[in-house]
Amino acid sequence: MEPYIRSTDITLTFTPKNRDPVTALKDFRIELNSGEFVSIVGPSGCGKSTFLNVLLGLLKPDMGEMEIGGKKITGPGVERAMVFQEFGLLPWRTVMANVELGPELKGESVASRRPRAQELINLVGLTGFEGHFPHELSGGMKQRVGLARALATDPEVLLMDEPFAALDAQTRDLMQAELLQIWDKHKKTVLFVTHSIEEAAYLSDRVIVMTARPGKTKRIIKINLPRPRGYEMRLSPEFNDIKLDIWNTLKDELNPRE
Amino acid sequence: MNRYLSQYRENEEHILGWGFIVLFLLAWELTPHLVALPKGLALFFTTPYHIALKLFDMVTSGEVAFHFYVSGSEFVIGLGLSILVALPLGLVMGRFYTLNAMFDPFVTAFNATPRLVFLPLVVLWFGFGIWSTVVIVFIGALFPLLINTYEGVKNVDRVLVNVVRSFGANEWQLMKIVVLPNSMPYIIAGLRLAIGRAILGVVVGEFFGSDQGVGFLMAEAAGNYIVDVVFAGLILFMGISLVMTMAVKKLEDRLSRWRPEQVKTF
Repeated sequence: MEPYIRSTDITLTFTPKNRDPVTALKDFRIELNSGEFVSIVGPSGCGKSTFLNVLLGLLKPDMGEMEIGGKKITGPGVERAMVFQEFGLLPWRTVMANVELGPELKGESVASRRPRAQELINLVGLTGFEGHFPHELSGGMKQRVGLARALATDPEVLLMDEPFAALDAQTRDLMQAELLQIWDKHKKTVLFVTHSIEEAAYLSDRVIVMTARPGKTKRIIKINLPRPRGYEMRLSPEFNDIKLDIWNTLKDELNPRE
Repeated sequence: MNRYLSQYRENEEHILGWGFIVLFLLAWELTPHLVALPKGLALFFTTPYHIALKLFDMVTSGEVAFHFYVSGSEFVIGLGLSILVALPLGLVMGRFYTLNAMFDPFVTAFNATPRLVFLPLVVLWFGFGIWSTVVIVFIGALFPLLINTYEGVKNVDRVLVNVVRSFGANEWQLMKIVVLPNSMPYIIAGLRLAIGRAILGVVVGEFFGSDQGVGFLMAEAAGNYIVDVVFAGLILFMGISLVMTMAVKKLEDRLSRWRPEQVKTF
């Protein structure tokens, strides 16, 4: 089967003012099948987020190109949507107006975008909070809005940039379980960047372990655990073996000074 | 007794504030009766009672309405023009490096210069009357608004720009959805400054470059030693400044409903 998303070797170098150039990605290559849940783990600064921004169409690589559904990526597109690390909600917009952002930019009328936005707000469990402003919400609720907003344009691919990193441990567990439910129901392709080995192992079909900067694929680990995955699964020996395997792959890349 | 005390506690701030104003007016009114003023000062001294009488006269005769209308028009037209120019210019200067590089030396130079030095030239060019004052108001209000808008745009949240761009926004939508709302606290602070400068512009323009308006009224009265009229004009300007300050505060409250806490911009 043809992969849904694929890239040639991607290389991207940043040249900050008055600093030496930084090669964020070097010959990074990826293939994703439609409907697959893939996580990327890697040391800090290895270019994970950079890669997501390339895929999102906000950054242009120096070399290499990406294809999605057979079409070359040249900029943002409606088949991709991102859930951002620090939520990225517009603070002056209500929950409803934040969720409606994507459809609004596409030029959809209020009459056509409102019912769908409401449906998504219900889906992420925020019914009754439509008129609230982001500062009135907890971290978990904010990221629920972020998720609903990403789903509002009905994208094929959900890009998630450490979406739960800013949440407390319990909220995080809860959000992971809910994300799996939504993923199962809506059949999206998910590319999930995280620092947490446990998170990657729990959620994914495959985990891509990256090297330290400049980031490239070190190893791809297939997670052969049955779905649906419950919380109990996290306590099973198989799950721990997978975590250990990812850790052993990753540990040589970690910089002890960080 | 206790009831009065609790009522006082509830309204303490207002009672103290207004109470002191009343006390001040009373002291002022009584001054000429209690102390012998030096002759030079006594000649140009007046009391709140006389000022109030004079102001009442001027209001009923329509004199206030006429001059107030002139000053108000200069203020509104000058400030309005400066908003119309400063907002778009500040937005594009903040977004486009080239334009900023082109305009920045002008903005810096004009802003560093006291606006009054333009007055002789402005009077020559626009004549003695309302339009030269409008221009002075415009120049005065333009720069604080322009500079604050520019700063606001410069300080736009990068993440939010990326969020909105990732949903396919074009530059125009980006301005409307992120840049402008994000700059609003800066713009309001700029507006506050601009209003102060605009009122100053009305006063100065009318003092030196006009034959009508409340400022002219004051200058003329002072020249003729009519102290009551000078005070009446002063009270009018005070009143306008207060009303405008409160109006900006209202506007700010309206525009910052989404904020966790009121940001004090003053």
